[in-house]
Amino acid sequence: MRWAYALNQWNIRMDVFVRHEDQRRALKTVSACGFDHVELAAGTGRWDNLGRPEVILLNHGSHAGFLAFLRECSVQGVSSMYWDPGQPVEEEGWAFRSAANPADHDAIVESAKPFVDFLAGVGAEQLVVRPAGSAWMSPPLDHDAIKHIGQLWNRVSELAAASGVRVALHYDCLGAVHTEADLESLLAATDAGLALDTAELTIGGIDPVAFYRRHHDRVTHVHLKDTRYADTGTEYLMPGAETTMLRGGAGRHIERWFYELGTDGGLVDVKGFVAALREHAYPGWVVVESDHGGNPAELAMLNSWYLQHELGWERHGNR
Amino acid sequence: MKWSYMDHWVTETPQGPQPPSFNRAHMDRYVKQLSALGFQGFDTFFFYLPMLAGMYGSVAAFERFLQDNGFDKITGIFSAYPYATKYTAPHVRETHDRIFADCENTVRAVEGLSVENFIVMPTTTYFQVEPVTPDKIKIMADLWNRVGAMTLRHGMKTTCHFEFWGAIRTREQLDLFFAETDPALVHFFCDTAQHTIAGVDPIQMFRDYRERCTGFHFKDTHTVDTNEAYRTPPDPELMAPGVDRWFYEMGTEGGLVDFPALMREIVASGYDGWLTVEHDKAELGGGSYAEATCVAKWYIDNVLAEVAA
Repeated sequence: MRWAYALNQWNIRMDVFVRHEDQRRALKTVSACGFDHVELAAGTGRWDNLGRPEVILLNHGSHAGFLAFLRECSVQGVSSMYWDPGQPVEEEGWAFRSAANPADHDAIVESAKPFVDFLAGVGAEQLVVRPAGSAWMSPPLDHDAIKHIGQLWNRVSELAAASGVRVALHYDCLGAVHTEADLESLLAATDAGLALDTAELTIGGIDPVAFYRRHHDRVTHVHLKDTRYADTGTEYLMPGAETTMLRGGAGRHIERWFYELGTDGGLVDVKGFVAALREHAYPGWVVVESDHGGNPAELAMLNSWYLQHELGWERHGNR
Repeated sequence: MKWSYMDHWVTETPQGPQPPSFNRAHMDRYVKQLSALGFQGFDTFFFYLPMLAGMYGSVAAFERFLQDNGFDKITGIFSAYPYATKYTAPHVRETHDRIFADCENTVRAVEGLSVENFIVMPTTTYFQVEPVTPDKIKIMADLWNRVGAMTLRHGMKTTCHFEFWGAIRTREQLDLFFAETDPALVHFFCDTAQHTIAGVDPIQMFRDYRERCTGFHFKDTHTVDTNEAYRTPPDPELMAPGVDRWFYEMGTEGGLVDFPALMREIVASGYDGWLTVEHDKAELGGGSYAEATCVAKWYIDNVLAEVAA
């Protein structure tokens, strides 16, 4: 089991986390907290300069140049990168694509190439993808739709494998692949691995510990974070659920869903989950995430404290 | 090397940015955050002691909470009279009994623990004391000699922390103050940024007062005060024209303190006391204490540790 920290919590708006010095401070924070690898998240444009491979290369000249930038801050490398092909980006002409639509598949496979090349170039292993769009935006997925989605990710997996990169499908609580049965159907329809996110599964009504125990052979990536709430059953179907549900714009008005490990009232059995990973000698990355929950450095420190004091984690680096 | 953390922290609460003494839950989180980085000592202000006792049952119980999180202990208590009043002004002999009594009360609040340093600002603001004369420095020295003897009886060393805006700030004034105080009773606490702002070399200060040095505040600055900002009434720290922020964490661009050189000097001297990270007003300009602390600890772990090795 290897541990990394997600940088997504620092990049909370379009025009922040752009200056290299801001990024260095985040990397040093991650390092001081005992992590030596980071997960990146895809974005778009000149300001998302840790989110688009071509923009990263423009900033740092080469893969080696980017690794040198990380290592200057005692972060040794990249574990993985998160990418949602359904998120329109400037670099793809703002095209709106759906994994459930076979007509979009060629374009999605093509758009995966820069990410695969980049990950291979920096020695990272995992492309973590959102397998399908939000549930509220489309009719429920039927058997054929899930089959098509599985075929798409098989193609991307094949492409990635040629470069030594693996693809992991990331379950999220708003996704059209929502129920445990949906998720099991998708896994049956593809050879790609599963990125198991403990908080997202919990919000979606799936017990991450039990699910991991049943499907441990398919889990190739983990996002570890907590939540204080679970969907009451249909909140994820609210129009604009990204805002109405996850930012508290409607319904129960819950403005923050994701929390650091060890939070009061956390619903995730973090100790039980990590024990299950250890029991099965899980060999992949565990990426600790805070998502957008508050002061990034405070949350990284609290997560580090929890790992060290509650899970017997051996942190990296000097002390 | 043993690293402690001086408590200036501000965190976000539902009632805005506040010190973590806002409530017990915030205090717990704060201690855990420092623990995650591996700090072993905790320094705090005298005025937090009653709050800590209230939240944890006693100051000793707070120290046990620190120890449950990997700390050794509370290492220093900071006491200060930054603003002269008719009741308390170190350069006014008539106020000494009151200051002495205050200090004794503070020391008694940590009786039974093994706090090492009773850290004091030996003076108030410069503008309230000027002209600073040898006679006034002698009056202040007399006070701290007396307090120093008292704290020693309680197992703590009185150690003087000089501000760039305080009445003892130049090398000449510092030397006179130390000449007028008893080396057995009054010690030197080296704040790297404060001396640098005042145009005094903190490394040379350490070299010259090594035998009396009982601690450090490792913090940086980007500005030497060449415009007599130190005389700004009523407060040069936040109101000096042209300088919005005086203090920075270690490892920022433009930092003026040569920390590796200081660390080499410390190692060569055989100093084996605590080294303390301090961030003062780290939130100015949109910064956060948490991030400043991580960046400083990264600097310790990756730059200073190599020097020390």
